[in-house]
Amino acid sequence: MEFTLLWAALTGVAGLYGALWLMGRRDTSLCVRDLWDAAITAAVVGLAVGRIVAMVRGGVNPLTNPGDILLVRAGVDTVGATLAALAALAWVLRADLAEQLDGLAPAALAGIAGWHGGCLFRDACLGTPSDLPWAWAQSGSDITRHPVELYAALAFLLAATGLFRLRLRYPPPGVVAGLGLAVAGVVRLATEPLRPSLLDGPTAWYAAAAVLGGATAAWSWQRSRAGQRRPDGPLQ
Amino acid sequence: MRRVVIAVCLAVAAAACGGSDDVGDVGLLPEITPDELQTLIADTDRPLVLNVWASWCIPCRSEAPLLRTAHEQFGDEVRFVGLDVRDNQSDARAFLNEFDLAGFEHYFDQSGAAQGSLGAGGVPLTLFYRADGSLFELHFGVIDERTLALNLDEIGR
Repeated sequence: MEFTLLWAALTGVAGLYGALWLMGRRDTSLCVRDLWDAAITAAVVGLAVGRIVAMVRGGVNPLTNPGDILLVRAGVDTVGATLAALAALAWVLRADLAEQLDGLAPAALAGIAGWHGGCLFRDACLGTPSDLPWAWAQSGSDITRHPVELYAALAFLLAATGLFRLRLRYPPPGVVAGLGLAVAGVVRLATEPLRPSLLDGPTAWYAAAAVLGGATAAWSWQRSRAGQRRPDGPLQ
Repeated sequence: MRRVVIAVCLAVAAAACGGSDDVGDVGLLPEITPDELQTLIADTDRPLVLNVWASWCIPCRSEAPLLRTAHEQFGDEVRFVGLDVRDNQSDARAFLNEFDLAGFEHYFDQSGAAQGSLGAGGVPLTLFYRADGSLFELHFGVIDERTLALNLDEIGR
């Protein structure tokens, strides 16, 4: 039995929880426990749906092979998992969606950074060949490669830090969450060409996430500014 | 509401009964001895991927579509060989037919002796050999897309 994937998942959860804990210390308006519950719910829903989508795409019937759903090592469809996780989040946090998503976005990016950094446990950091000084080779090979998962981890960590600092300045609701989605799409889009792949990568979806996130952030910001400029109505 | 529930239950039951023992055009898998397997590996003129599987192995079912895709993409440059262990012919042939895996070579190892000569037990197992017959990587358990793509890239260079 192999537990390397479990270690990578634990790294992701540690990143998420650590970031939420840090944010809760600096921003008392956040209910860390609620955000933690929402994030874990979304992660579980996303994982299950992503696994089922991967099975269907691979030609395996989830109804005739229900045990396969637990075999996450066989593959999880990123797009299906992300959409399901976002839908679950929207449902769980529906009472105050924009504010809560703003609180969760930096921690979510930190969690994704942890997941990518977990490649060190899985011995799965390497991508396409490279001669750059920091590239390294698989054991038994002399072909040096991009440590692409560490690139992604670093980018997500930087983005999480930036969004955390932005969140502390209380921008209009929806801005931090929108930027978080945009950054996630851009980072995946930028690193995808460096990953060896057999299937068509979901690059169009990453681009759509980047555009949608950016548009949401811009719209939230614009809406807030328009609200501030609106003159008071006549006194009754 | 009750009608919807009944319809859903029937659909689920129909789908669950959809599993087939149809072997299609898949012929009997040739048996292979440990010596023959070692000769096959040593005499390969191309990089070789050896996948050890069985029709009763649930994880093998999960990785089967990925191996089919890999064979479709790399079949010209890399030799794909399947080793069916501790299985029976009819289930093995139905498995190959179901996942459309008959496109590459498969051998039958009912006793598991040929697998034993590889020095590793359990299924699934995927071994990557360079064109000179030397073992590059032995992957235990279900293989994921990235790992398969990376190792194919390594042995193919």
